[in-house]
Amino acid sequence: MALKVFSIPALPRVNNGAGRVLPVATTLLAAVISVLPLQIPGYAALTPVFTLMAAYHWTIYRPDLLPPLALFAVGLTEDLLAGSPIGVNALLLLLTRMAVLSYRRYFVNRRFPFVWTGFTLLTAVAMVALWVLHCILDLSLLDFRDTVIRGALTVAIFPLASFMLGRAQRAVMGTG
Amino acid sequence: MIRLSPQLRTAVQRTTLPILVLLSGAVIVLGKADQLLFDSLRTAVSDTVAPVLDAIARPLNAFGEVVDHARMAVTTYQTNVRLEAENQRLLQWQQAALNLAADNKQLRGLLKAVPETALSFVTARVVANSGGAFVRMILINAGSEDHVSRGQAVLTGEGLVGRLTEVGDRAARVLLITDLNSRIPVTIERSHVAAVLAGDNSERPRLLYLPAGDGAKVGDRIVTSGEGGVFPPGLPVGIVSATDGGGPRVEPYVELSQLGYVLVADYGLSRSLPQPLPMLARPARHAKIDGDDGTLR
Repeated sequence: MALKVFSIPALPRVNNGAGRVLPVATTLLAAVISVLPLQIPGYAALTPVFTLMAAYHWTIYRPDLLPPLALFAVGLTEDLLAGSPIGVNALLLLLTRMAVLSYRRYFVNRRFPFVWTGFTLLTAVAMVALWVLHCILDLSLLDFRDTVIRGALTVAIFPLASFMLGRAQRAVMGTG
Repeated sequence: MIRLSPQLRTAVQRTTLPILVLLSGAVIVLGKADQLLFDSLRTAVSDTVAPVLDAIARPLNAFGEVVDHARMAVTTYQTNVRLEAENQRLLQWQQAALNLAADNKQLRGLLKAVPETALSFVTARVVANSGGAFVRMILINAGSEDHVSRGQAVLTGEGLVGRLTEVGDRAARVLLITDLNSRIPVTIERSHVAAVLAGDNSERPRLLYLPAGDGAKVGDRIVTSGEGGVFPPGLPVGIVSATDGGGPRVEPYVELSQLGYVLVADYGLSRSLPQPLPMLARPARHAKIDGDDGTLR
């Protein structure tokens, strides 16, 4: 595979500190939000994959400010906090970056429904991959229904997450 | 930071991602091969983050209460009708229970039976859950500083929640009875038939190893059997809710997705659970079994 696709395109420089840490900070926040014990019946199993939303958003709009090392660190943190097999979320986020960077030029400056469709495809692939990986790690056939609902919730909440991340981006960095 | 030449920098930028992908893969395999390799790291992270999560979880508990209040306001009338009927029934049970308690006390006195009571309880707040379809765990804000230790039973007023699998200084992780890796020796209260309650990540764990023909019926109460010495016998676990193919399903008494506070109970039994041994320093198998016998009471 050509390594060219993983190189980062030139983006306008962000000079304020808050702007430079925003992508990493929000992705870390997404990891923390996903382990919060919301007391809603059945929520724990169906928690949307918030870090996937943040990783997708920032890899499209500011891949320079969410480097692979940060994704790796956030993914590991999420695994450690959640008690899930360590490395799984790190791998998921890094592969997300790989996939999104390869197709990034199709998504920049496009209307939101197009970006959302891209995220839907990504989530579908990611959820199936997660399910397969956990089945292998646990050596058993896990129930697929929770995974489907979790994926659907993730896709459903993405517009809100993307809107909030976009607002934060404009407010802090001053660019869209 | 070290200044790199532009070419080298580009090269580093391009290769970091594939290298980290491979590293994550390696971490997954290593973590699976030796479960204890990352244990101390996990405990350290839990310990560090628990106070922060605790601070965030507090308002969430309040939010949960608001949701409950709203739900109660809507269903007040039906709830009241149901509770009045239930109260009538319970008053009769109370009489029966008082009679039985008196009988029991008298008979125990005759038998000189040793009373089984928890030696101590620690109340802890749930500060994080596993957030995902593949693990059923919670993190609580009590650790070895609060005298809780690995293997202890975690309960609420309604029944069994799970057991402590990882204990740090200020935080501990609880493996819920619904987790895929949870196996708990139980008995059917009606027939005293022993079985194993096996979680499969669904909300209702399954009963395994029931003798043929001695099946569980819907509505049977399931309690811990005390076999294996990790839990004391008689802790309420749940009710058999379905008996179709693949083993009967048990509805836990505790609503595991809505835990706010839990009790960690020290029955003085937790040392019966063998401590996991790191892969590198694992002695011969018979030595490990000897160790287990030494700690049984």
